[in-house]
Amino acid sequence: MSYSATLKDHLSNPRNAGELEGANAVAEESNPVCGDRLRLSLRLNVGRIEAARFLAYGCAPTIACGSVLTEMIEGMPVQDALRLTRQEIARALGGLPARKQHAAALAIETLRAALEAN
Amino acid sequence: MPRRVYLDHSATTPVDARVVEAMLPFLTEKFGNASSVHFFGQEARAAVDRARRDVAALIQARPNETVFLSGGTEANNLAIRGVAEASETYGRHIITSQIEHSSVRGICDALEKKGFEITRLPVYEDGIVRTHDVREALRPDTILITVMLANNEIGTIQPVAEIGAIVREERERGNRHLRFHTDAVQAAGRIPLNVEELGCDLLSLSAHKLYAPKGVGALFVRRGVRLTAQNVGGHQERERRAGTESVAGIVAFGAASRFALEELEERASHVCLLRDRFEAGVAARVLEIVFNGNREKRLPHLSNISFRYIEGEGLLINLDLQGVAVSTGSACSSGSLEPSPVIRAIGRDEELARGSIRFSFGKDNSTEDVDYVLEALPRAVENLRRLSPLYQKAQAERACETLRA
Repeated sequence: MSYSATLKDHLSNPRNAGELEGANAVAEESNPVCGDRLRLSLRLNVGRIEAARFLAYGCAPTIACGSVLTEMIEGMPVQDALRLTRQEIARALGGLPARKQHAAALAIETLRAALEAN
Repeated sequence: MPRRVYLDHSATTPVDARVVEAMLPFLTEKFGNASSVHFFGQEARAAVDRARRDVAALIQARPNETVFLSGGTEANNLAIRGVAEASETYGRHIITSQIEHSSVRGICDALEKKGFEITRLPVYEDGIVRTHDVREALRPDTILITVMLANNEIGTIQPVAEIGAIVREERERGNRHLRFHTDAVQAAGRIPLNVEELGCDLLSLSAHKLYAPKGVGALFVRRGVRLTAQNVGGHQERERRAGTESVAGIVAFGAASRFALEELEERASHVCLLRDRFEAGVAARVLEIVFNGNREKRLPHLSNISFRYIEGEGLLINLDLQGVAVSTGSACSSGSLEPSPVIRAIGRDEELARGSIRFSFGKDNSTEDVDYVLEALPRAVENLRRLSPLYQKAQAERACETLRA
């Protein structure tokens, strides 16, 4: 199994890691099969994602997906964020191995849960 | 370019320069087929015979009890399937352990599908099979016991000599067809081996774990033990393994076995020193870790540690980016969904199994390597824990408890 340089970079220099102070949209989802876990805390303001932080437990792609997702959605209108697909996340990481697509799926699932809970 | 530290010697070892030198002529001017009658063939045959003596000496066997083949997996296949097929008429029960190498597990699973009954002995928290359980599992129709000499993930050394004694007793009591196989792939070159003391009928070896190339191995088959060949269609290896011998590889295996025997104590005490320095350093620098397996009865070069709250694959890649090569029992890197069955078998929960890392030292590692890893590892663990919701939750709970107290 080989991972892209972009993915490895997100793993060693995660962007926006942590819990966001003053978040008003939070979700934590897990993959029931492998136990991977992703937590997103967002601050929404007039239909836009102002700030995003993530925490992740699981294999390398799960962590990298959380990291790249926060980068992609900061400043994004909620309407657009709801339309993000796992393919776009995988693409932003320079591709994911076939068996690791579930990591991007977990990222999308957690994002939607956070936005819909708000 | 960061410093590179290879701590994955249980996966494979680099080929020793002296071994390369010994094998090279057999790729070029001494290229003959060991089955040919002419000079070129005889030259190759003599080299294979000499290597056979050297490999046999490593395990204190007779040369004609040593069958060359392609590696540990093939040795395990020939031993287990070979005995199962040859002894089928006497019984179809096989005893093994829960922590065998994946090749042994795979072979037993395949035999089970064909109607053999497999008893998989538990290991306890220390990662060691109990001889009491072996006795309990024995039946009149047991034809084979296969228990590894030392585990590949946690390095625990199994009571093989004691099982060998039980097998001898059992044979004297009338179960003449009972055979005993041990997978010594991880143990060879790291602890002394003597097939008489072990009392095994079959023993698997792999060359690339002892500084020889990949693609060569051997199976010790005690005189008088009948096996059904798995590779047929040639007279090589006294009909036990058909196929042209990999002469250069076998020569390398022979040379590497000679060096392994000569340098056994020196290598073992060197890696043991490094391993102990490493473990003391990790225990002092990283909190919430669990050492896996019995720490006395284990191979001297290996350390297996579970890091709470994080997953092994992320740690492996973080270390890799800092130039440090290790292995993990996390499912993610093996491509399966279940984390290491070995770590699960010693009673660790799923999180600890996923967070297990194997560090395996080699003769060419130095104390500087260990000290470098002791800097890189705490940093990598810290980075991942900072990201882990499990860690954050545990921290928050701890803060609460402190407040309450």
